Amino acid sequence: MASADPGQLPWVYPYREDPQSTRLGQPVFRPFVLISLAAAARSTAVLDGLIDTGADAILASDLLAEQLELDLEDHDGETTHAVGGRTVTARYKTVELRLHPADPTGSRYLPWRAQVGFIGGWHSYSFVLLGSVGFLDQWTVTASRFAQAVAIEARDAFDERFGILTAP
Amino acid sequence: MEPLRTDFTGYEGKYVAIDARTGEVVLADEDPQVVLEAAKNLDHVSVRGRVPYPSEPQYVGLG
Repeated sequence: MASADPGQLPWVYPYREDPQSTRLGQPVFRPFVLISLAAAARSTAVLDGLIDTGADAILASDLLAEQLELDLEDHDGETTHAVGGRTVTARYKTVELRLHPADPTGSRYLPWRAQVGFIGGWHSYSFVLLGSVGFLDQWTVTASRFAQAVAIEARDAFDERFGILTAP
Repeated sequence: MEPLRTDFTGYEGKYVAIDARTGEVVLADEDPQVVLEAAKNLDHVSVRGRVPYPSEPQYVGLG
């Protein structure tokens, strides 16, 4: 694999249909981008990562840790979350994440490193949730349900567009 | 931009991978590791996750 030039951004991804049948009789579309995880010489398949602005971190199924042969007993830290009426524990490890374009060919990706909280008994439609720390602090993300697409730009793009904001 | 549509009918309870150009399901198995392994090094393909049964609740984020 070879990494891509950040100058190729923005990368635009169409919203993707959710496997849940419908909401009020209409299809459900969600903002996914394509990512993979890597550690040492191992990497995962390209995954549909769900952008979740309400999540504070990147969370993922521990099945991906198995793919990477990570020892989650040797974690960076762990946090307990209350989710959907149950409690889950995220064990964090720092790994390489790779952002792939909307049509992934394997030869183009943009890498960065971040902590990922791996959770056993994962219960979500995709294997990865992309939250604030580790994802939204690395990229400028513009999601439009009207345009039915999400665009990823360099993280400085927000300041270039709106200026550096100070508290009102 | 048109959203990527996928017909998940018949894949309920299975883990799937999708052709990023067409939305077509190209891999499906009840074992997630089978799909994660088979999708490695496949161009144009990404792994979505598990297709729920219609009776399952609609999750938001992690659910």
